[in-house]
Amino acid sequence: MPDEIRSHVRDEVLPDDATVIVRGGPDSLEKLAQHAARTNRAFLLDGHQLWGVSVFLALDDAGSASAERILADRMRTYRIVHLTNVAQVRASGIGLLPTFARPRYTLLMRDASARSISALAVALGPGSTNPYHVAKRRG
Amino acid sequence: MTIIVDIAADLNDEDETGFVWTFLDEARDPSVVVPGAIIVAGDADAPAVVEVVDIVSKSAGQVVHLRILPGDIEDYAALVRRTLSAS
Repeated sequence: MPDEIRSHVRDEVLPDDATVIVRGGPDSLEKLAQHAARTNRAFLLDGHQLWGVSVFLALDDAGSASAERILADRMRTYRIVHLTNVAQVRASGIGLLPTFARPRYTLLMRDASARSISALAVALGPGSTNPYHVAKRRG
Repeated sequence: MTIIVDIAADLNDEDETGFVWTFLDEARDPSVVVPGAIIVAGDADAPAVVEVVDIVSKSAGQVVHLRILPGDIEDYAALVRRTLSAS
């Protein structure tokens, strides 16, 4: 039985459309399905099945929740990252839930259908090189 | 270099502990996944060297918490090559 995630949902104002979203990648449809299945196995939301993947939002202009620090710190092991924004996620029909510690969010899908996974992939967009990957920083 | 991880994980996943989490049954060999062990987690495209923090029994299964260690996996490979001799 999965754990209820509601107690780990933060009470905060949802970000505006321009807010940058960062996720370590590269993601494929297969990987997104696997990660969503792991989330589904671990958590319920208000007693219902939860399908989603983890992302980080650049909620601040500076500091640990800024895009730069997320890329340099949380994403340091990722050569490839997905950079998108809240507007793109919402336009894809994907939900946003502030879970666990700030600036972490869960991108929510209605289910684990191929259509939903594809919508998630569209929302995340293509991968790009992480300029702050640990190997790059060594020069 | 082909990388085969010790345990599959989404390294973006962090729970209330602040650590990356995954399920123990996603390990290739669960016997190597013990607290304090240094293993490779993630997937072939996005691997990371991690320390096993703990294993927690939950109703959904045994959850492994992982601390991502500094450096790139190639750094650790270079370290082993540089410091270990055949003798």
